[in-house]
Amino acid sequence: MSLEQVAIGATARVADVSGTDAVSLRLLEMGLTPGVRVRVVSTAPLGGPLELELRGYRLSIRRHEAARVAIAN
Amino acid sequence: MSLTPDGPAAPAGGRSPVGRDGKPIVVALLGNPNTGKSTLFSALAGIPTRIGNYPGVTVEEKVGRYTHRGQAIELVDLPGTYSLVAKSPDEQVAVDVLRGRLAGVPIPDCVIVVADATNLERNLYLATQALGLGLPTVIALTLSDVADAKGIRIDVGELGRRLGCPVIRVATPAGVGIEPLGDAILAAIQSPRQPLQGLDPHLAGVDSGREPAAREAIARYGWIEELLAGVVQRQPPAGRSVGERIDDLLTDRLWGTLAFAATMLAMFSSIFWLATPLMDGISAIMDAVSGLVAGMLPEGAIRSLLVDGVLAGVAGVVVFVPQIAMLFLFVALLEGCGYLSRAAFLMDRLLCGVGLGGKSFIPLLSSFACAIPGIMAARTIENRRDRLLTILVAPLMSCSARLPVYLLLCGAFVPNIPVGFSWLRLPAVVLVGMYAVGVVAAALVALILSRTIFRGPPQPFVMELPGWRWPQWRVVLERVREAVWSFLQNAGTLIVAVSIVIWALASYPHSESAIDAEVAAVRGQLVARLERLPGDGADHAEAAEELAALDTDAGLAALRRGAAQRQSLLGRMGRLVEPVVRPLGWDWRLGCAAIASFPAREVVLGTLAVIYNLGDIDPGEEEGGSMLVRRLRAATWDGTNRKVFTLPTALSIMVFFALCAQCASTLVVIGRETNSWLWPAVTFTYMTLLAWLAAFATYQVGTWLGG
Repeated sequence: MSLEQVAIGATARVADVSGTDAVSLRLLEMGLTPGVRVRVVSTAPLGGPLELELRGYRLSIRRHEAARVAIAN
Repeated sequence: MSLTPDGPAAPAGGRSPVGRDGKPIVVALLGNPNTGKSTLFSALAGIPTRIGNYPGVTVEEKVGRYTHRGQAIELVDLPGTYSLVAKSPDEQVAVDVLRGRLAGVPIPDCVIVVADATNLERNLYLATQALGLGLPTVIALTLSDVADAKGIRIDVGELGRRLGCPVIRVATPAGVGIEPLGDAILAAIQSPRQPLQGLDPHLAGVDSGREPAAREAIARYGWIEELLAGVVQRQPPAGRSVGERIDDLLTDRLWGTLAFAATMLAMFSSIFWLATPLMDGISAIMDAVSGLVAGMLPEGAIRSLLVDGVLAGVAGVVVFVPQIAMLFLFVALLEGCGYLSRAAFLMDRLLCGVGLGGKSFIPLLSSFACAIPGIMAARTIENRRDRLLTILVAPLMSCSARLPVYLLLCGAFVPNIPVGFSWLRLPAVVLVGMYAVGVVAAALVALILSRTIFRGPPQPFVMELPGWRWPQWRVVLERVREAVWSFLQNAGTLIVAVSIVIWALASYPHSESAIDAEVAAVRGQLVARLERLPGDGADHAEAAEELAALDTDAGLAALRRGAAQRQSLLGRMGRLVEPVVRPLGWDWRLGCAAIASFPAREVVLGTLAVIYNLGDIDPGEEEGGSMLVRRLRAATWDGTNRKVFTLPTALSIMVFFALCAQCASTLVVIGRETNSWLWPAVTFTYMTLLAWLAAFATYQVGTWLGG
């Protein structure tokens, strides 16, 4: 299951970020590292980006980027 | 691209003691975006003494100077970055400066790492990377007042011990920590420090099969969690904070979108209402100055150069200042309070569809008022590719300068008939259609460019949504001042130069005898026509009226001016381009007007007036406007009775002006913002081609349907 499928308002724990490109590195650098707890705050209209809360701040990522973030069950 | 930011920076040994020989010490300001770095810069150094570009790249270099306890300090604001593993040109500059790899830019004597106290975990990511370089470093803990209010307690002394560098709490509006920060800098440069160690044990815990950079990122967060254990205490907030509640509302799918629409509507209507009187005032002042100068000088080349060349060029520059100032005021306020990133968040999906991103929205929307502030507003897009793409399509949005052209031609040549409803008239539909032409063209061009020359790996949209806070007036005013100044200084001078060139083309060569000959020929034709026409017809009366108008001083002066322009280089260029513009349904005079309106499209009305032998016209004046309309309606192809201005021709002119790059100011600003003459050349070429093709299609289809 990926972060993209987490319901609005729910909290999940990151298991891993797939890929070896600049995008996955940026996700890791922004703090989406294995073990961190993330809350999905909201989503933008028309299937737009997700708003996340982690490590005491809010971050926005697109859906296909969220799909790279695997979450722990 | 550096993958391992750790390890000492280039020549660490052999550094002479700094700050002793009266030379300023160089202090670099490093930090994540949205951490109050600009606010701290203003609090320390005030207004920057120099804003330019780093050598060889389009990354802004901002330098300020101040003194602390008699020591001169040169403060260099590095581009905001999340990491020292560079992924963008901005980040690369920050890395290169810190490592002394940028030619002509010395390694800083000291680094201030700006860290947001409300978000220490992520901010320490960059801070620990910077501490790994081994340069003298001081950490400035910004927004510490906001952290206090949120119940975040930080043991600053213990944090400093663990990081091996001084940590100073600052609260910029109140000026807290500014003095201690200066003292800490002076102390830090005197005592060398070792690169901070401690990442290695954490690296051992991460799967060794991963990419080195990814391993480092995971290990670094593990290390930071350890560093912060016991240093940061969060008191569980009593319910959700006001900022979080506002955020929940403003990023909500329904309410957030509605609030966004309302904000944009309020912003642009107030820009329109507030900037219009200021622009009118500036135009009136410039007209008065022109009148004054014209009155003081004798008629001749000097007066013409000053009034029609220089002053007209200056007026064309300063008239944009109110819009630029207003837009940047709003953008800086929205950015300062954190709304700009929410707007990008909400609009991202829509713009993604055409290969742009959420942050392109404000620049593109601004371009409906004027492309110049719009292109300048694209500075808020960090991503190079998205920024360039936004700049390239922004001039396709129909700006306010196109409106007079649309209004004149719609009013004169589009039949005023209802379309479906009695209140919906064809001219209004055509007017809206012109705006739609620009939007559709921009979407298509963005889509095509993003799939071709800008094709590349998907651009990440990993954007921080910073906490809500009050905008800092100092930072806001500085943004406005800087935007206006950079426009006047860099673009303004070039725009004036282009205006002078066009003036020269329209004025020379100038031969009185050739003008006399043409005036005599025109008058002779009119007299001959008058004699040919039956004495009681309406045509006869009209021709007689025309002759009477010609025989007045004003009529003669207008005819002489028209003759001079037709015989000038510009007139010859008009004839030269006639084969090119004929398929659009234009005669050579329209080609001439199109060339003359290169500095600014609104000039086309004035040029048409001159070229069709009308005196100066004021499009706002009913009498003058209708006179121009009558002249245009009467214009015929040279040597025939065929009318030049038919509905297809009028539509083809409008479509051309909707899509063409007839605005020297826009091109100059694109050059300045991209730091290259390639992009203005690309913009001009593609827009002119697009405008020609669309005008061609419009005229040909229009003629075919009409015939």
